[in-house]
Amino acid sequence: MVPKKESVPQRVMYVEDDPDIRAIAEIALQDVGGFTARLCESGAQALDVAPAFGPELVLLDVMMPGMDGPETLRALRELPGMAQVPVIFMTARLQRSEIDEYRALGAAGVIPKPFDPMTLAEQISEILARARMEP
Amino acid sequence: MASQENGDVSEKLAALRQKFLVRASEDIQVLRAYAEQTRRGELSAEGLIQCYQQLHRLAGSAGTFGLPELGVAARALEKKLKSQAEELTETENNHSQTIDVNDGFADGVDALAKLVEVKSEISGQTRAAISRADIFEGSHGMQVSVIVMDSGCEGLASLSAEMARYGFNCQTVDQKVSASVQEVLADTPGAAAILCRDVAVADVMSLRNQATAKGLHRRLPVICIGRDGSFNNKYHLAKLGAFAFFQEPVDIPELAERIESLAIERSASVQGRVLIVEDDTELAEHYCLVLQSAGIEARAVSDPLDLMPTLSSFQPDIVLMDVQIGDYSGVTLARLIRFEPRWLSLPIIYLSSEDDPDNQLEALSKGADEFLMKPVSDDYLVRSVRIRCYRARQLSELMNRDSLTGLLKHSLIKQEVEKELARCRRDGHPSSLVMLDLDHFKQINDTWGHRYGDIVIRTLANLLRNRLRETDMIGRYGGEEFLVVLPHCEVTAAAELVRRIGESFAELEFSAGEGSFQVTLSAGVAAINDFANGDDALEAADQALYQRKRSGRNGVTVHSLQ
Repeated sequence: MVPKKESVPQRVMYVEDDPDIRAIAEIALQDVGGFTARLCESGAQALDVAPAFGPELVLLDVMMPGMDGPETLRALRELPGMAQVPVIFMTARLQRSEIDEYRALGAAGVIPKPFDPMTLAEQISEILARARMEP
Repeated sequence: MASQENGDVSEKLAALRQKFLVRASEDIQVLRAYAEQTRRGELSAEGLIQCYQQLHRLAGSAGTFGLPELGVAARALEKKLKSQAEELTETENNHSQTIDVNDGFADGVDALAKLVEVKSEISGQTRAAISRADIFEGSHGMQVSVIVMDSGCEGLASLSAEMARYGFNCQTVDQKVSASVQEVLADTPGAAAILCRDVAVADVMSLRNQATAKGLHRRLPVICIGRDGSFNNKYHLAKLGAFAFFQEPVDIPELAERIESLAIERSASVQGRVLIVEDDTELAEHYCLVLQSAGIEARAVSDPLDLMPTLSSFQPDIVLMDVQIGDYSGVTLARLIRFEPRWLSLPIIYLSSEDDPDNQLEALSKGADEFLMKPVSDDYLVRSVRIRCYRARQLSELMNRDSLTGLLKHSLIKQEVEKELARCRRDGHPSSLVMLDLDHFKQINDTWGHRYGDIVIRTLANLLRNRLRETDMIGRYGGEEFLVVLPHCEVTAAAELVRRIGESFAELEFSAGEGSFQVTLSAGVAAINDFANGDDALEAADQALYQRKRSGRNGVTVHSLQ
C-alpha cells in the first residue's frame, strides 16, 4: 500500500479565555509554527467562527467560564463539516483519568499547560502523527 | 529559516512577557487582598472560588511566559484550595458566608508576591544591561583586579602594563600615602592579590593588616617581586607573611596564572549541600538550623528507608551519618550507599560518640571517610562541614575540568551548548557560540617545544576567563581549540568581543630562552538560537572557523545562514 501523503493542517483555531495566553499562542502558532491561526475567546465565539473559517485543527482550553472545553467540543461536533476535525485539549490539570476522559470524548490528544511557545507547533504535529497511527 | 524572523519572535515574546508580568502582579495584588481577609477570618466562599480560579490561571500560564517558579508556587496553592473550592462550587448555596481556609494560604500568597517582585527587578536589570552599548567593557564578572603598591621609583609600572595586557585590572597606589591605600583597598572589593616590591613587604603587610582589622577588606594575599632569589631572602619574606615571590625578570604568564588561581579560589563557592542521617529528630533539626544559618544547605533524614531516595533528589556534597540510627547501623548504611556507583566518591562522615580507635577503624574500613566526635560545637560543625564540602567540590571540579587550563572538558561544554539552546527557546533570548583556534599551533610546538605550547594554551584560557562574563561558559574543545558559549549575546556583539580578545592575545609576547614569539587566533561565531539542535550550531561555528582559516586566519568570521 502506498502511504498517503500526510496532510499538515494549515488553519488552526485556538479557543482560550485568557487574553495573554491568546497573544502568545498566536505567535507560537503563526510565527513559530507557520499556521494560519484564529483565536477565539470563548466556546460561543468558536461556534460562530468555525463554519466560515473551516479549521483543520482545534485547540481547546479545558477550563473556561461559560461553555468549558468539553462542552464546546460536543457543540462543535454538531456543526456541519466539523464532525471529524481533530481536537486537542489544553489543560493545566494533567491527570491520567482526565486524559482518558478527553480521549473518550474524541480528542486527538492533550497538551499540558503551561506550554512552551517555541515548541507548541512541534507538540501539535507529534500528537497528530500519533493519532494517525492509532485511529 | 531567516534569523531576522527569529529575532522578531523573540522580541514579540519578550514584550508579551513584560505585559504578563504586569498583569500577574495585579492579579497577585488581588490575591493579597483576599489573603488579608483570610487572616481576619473574613474570606467569603465566593472569594475563595475567585482565588482558586486566579491561581489556576497563574499555574497554567506563568511557565509559558518564562516564569516556571511562579507557576509551580501557584499550583501548590491551588491544590491547597482545590477540595474546598470544588465542594463550594457544587453546593451552590449562600456564597457570601465566611469560611475558614487552610493554614499557610495567606503566607503562600505573600510568597507569590515576592517571586513576582524579584522577577520584575531581574528583568528590569537585564534589559538595562543589554541596552547598554558598552556591555562588553569592564562588565565581565571575571575580570580580576590586582592592587599594585609602588612608591613610584620601584619600577612596577611596566609590570602593571604587562598584566593589563593579560586582561587584569591593575590599581596602582603609593604605599607611602596611607589614606589613598585605604581608599583603594576599600574601592577594590574584588581584588585577588596585592603586588609589591620585596623590600616593601613589611610596610605593605602592616597596611593590609590595618585595613583587614577595620573590616575594610578580606585578608588579601601579598605577592612580592624582587631581584634577590636567595634562600635567606625568601625565608625572610615568608616570615613576614608574603604569599609568593617572583624573581626578576618576572615570568609574566606564570604570575598571571598564580593570580588567576587565587581569584578562582576566592570566587569558588564554599557553600555546600549536606545530608544528615540522624534518628534523633531534635538533634537533626538543630544541625540543620546551624548549617543553614551559615549558608549551607542541609537536609535531615531520620528514617533510613528514606535515605536512598533523598540522596538522589537532594544530591548532597557530603553525608553526615550517625553511627546508630534506631535499629540500623550507620556503618552498614554507608556500605549500602556505596552499592550505587554514582555515590562511590560521596564523602560520608560519621557523627559519633565512639571514641574507641578500633571501632572507628572498623567503620572507616567499611566505607566511611571520617569521624566527627559528638558532642560537636556549632562552630566546629560549620567549619568542618564547610571544608569538607569545599574539598568534595574541588574533587568533582577536577573530574569535570581540563587539567591544563581549568576550563570545562569537551563533553561538558558540549552539554552547555544544548542547555543554552533550551534556555534560548524558553526565554526567547539570542545567544552566541564561538569556536576558537590558535593559528599555526603545530609550528609553535615544533619550534619551541611542548612546554611553550602549553604556556600559550594556558595563557589564552586565562585571558578568556578574564575578559568574559561570569555567566559565559568556556571549554577546551580539543588540543588547541576552545569553545565559548555567550548567553544573551547577539552574534555581532560576540564577534566584536572575540575580535578584541584576539587583538589583545596577538599583542602578547611569549619569551622562550633567547627568542620570543607571538600567536594569533581564528574564531568562528554562530547564533545558537538559529539552530534546531546543539550539534548543528557547533557545526555552523566550526564552518565559520574553517572559512576564517582559509581566508587568512587571525580574525573572526560569523556564520551566515544561506
